[in-house]
Amino acid sequence: MEDVVRPGNLSADGRLATADDATLVAACAERVPGAFQELLSRYRRPAVTLAYQMMGNLEDAEDVAQEAFVRVFQAIPRFRGQASFSTWLYRIVTNLCLGSRRRRKATVALDAVREPRASDSPSRQVTEALLTRQVLGAMAPELRAILLLRDQEGLSYTEIAEALRLPLGTVRSRLSKARTAFRQMWRKLSESGEEQS
Amino acid sequence: MTCRLYEEQLSSYLDGELPARRAARLDAHLKTCPHCRAELTALGGIAGRLRAVSSQVQVSHDFDRRVIRAVGYWHVTGWQKPVRSYLKPLVILALFLLAMMGAVWHFFTRPLGPPLPEPQPAISAVAPVVPGASVPPMQDPEAR
Ligand SMILES: [Zn+2]
Repeated sequence: MEDVVRPGNLSADGRLATADDATLVAACAERVPGAFQELLSRYRRPAVTLAYQMMGNLEDAEDVAQEAFVRVFQAIPRFRGQASFSTWLYRIVTNLCLGSRRRRKATVALDAVREPRASDSPSRQVTEALLTRQVLGAMAPELRAILLLRDQEGLSYTEIAEALRLPLGTVRSRLSKARTAFRQMWRKLSESGEEQS
Repeated sequence: MTCRLYEEQLSSYLDGELPARRAARLDAHLKTCPHCRAELTALGGIAGRLRAVSSQVQVSHDFDRRVIRAVGYWHVTGWQKPVRSYLKPLVILALFLLAMMGAVWHFFTRPLGPPLPEPQPAISAVAPVVPGASVPPMQDPEAR
């Protein structure tokens, strides 16, 4: 019983780094110095990469992720842990991205990269990465969001249902639709790319 | 074509989210249908394609600093807390002293007695009478 970790005395001996998410969230809610930085260092990357794939560029992605962390910090004293912290964060990031209609076309980047490397053609990896971004950009934002939560971030169907506030049946059918859309768009764009070159 | 029905189930099948009986039926179909097998492989490859892109993302080195600045630095680090605890009363005291000084200054610079009447503009100062000029002399209109 003595080993119960209290959020208040976590910071002094550097146990924040090894604390689990729930303890860290509680410490953050009590404004324990360093707790928010630790949360930030754990979730900075997933938040930015999810936003990046949603928005199509790093600048907008970091703006969204920053806003998401500010909201997390403000709302964390009221966070009751109904869902896991990560699901909650993904929900905030996704909503911010869906609310922002600024996604820029990935085609610009594709052209920009192809041009200067005319002599040695871009590696297959690079081409595929650009094609992936293009396909994502062409998808409906709602389909893009569910696809990223599942196939990039690896959320379970239940977690996606919590993050997007959707019934499980809708998660199942929308994900199937999203994957089919990705597959069809990929085929279409890669065929048109081959015709051009 | 039965493939269309099965294709709709491939996504859930991939995640192990298809009910056992339907999964068994799809299993049997996949053994005989190269088209659906190819579709399943393609759907299964999407995750890898997405992660290949996301793994290349480099978060700016000052991202944390920007977030912490947006949140309010003292909230997060705590080191400014003691400073803040006596900063607030100091500001209040300074404002109070300023207000007092203002009041004292106002008291001593206030004109004593009833306010003086507005000084009338001296006509001679404004329009000096130039000898020989054809300026008509100013007259009180009511005097006519
Ligand atoms: Zn088939």
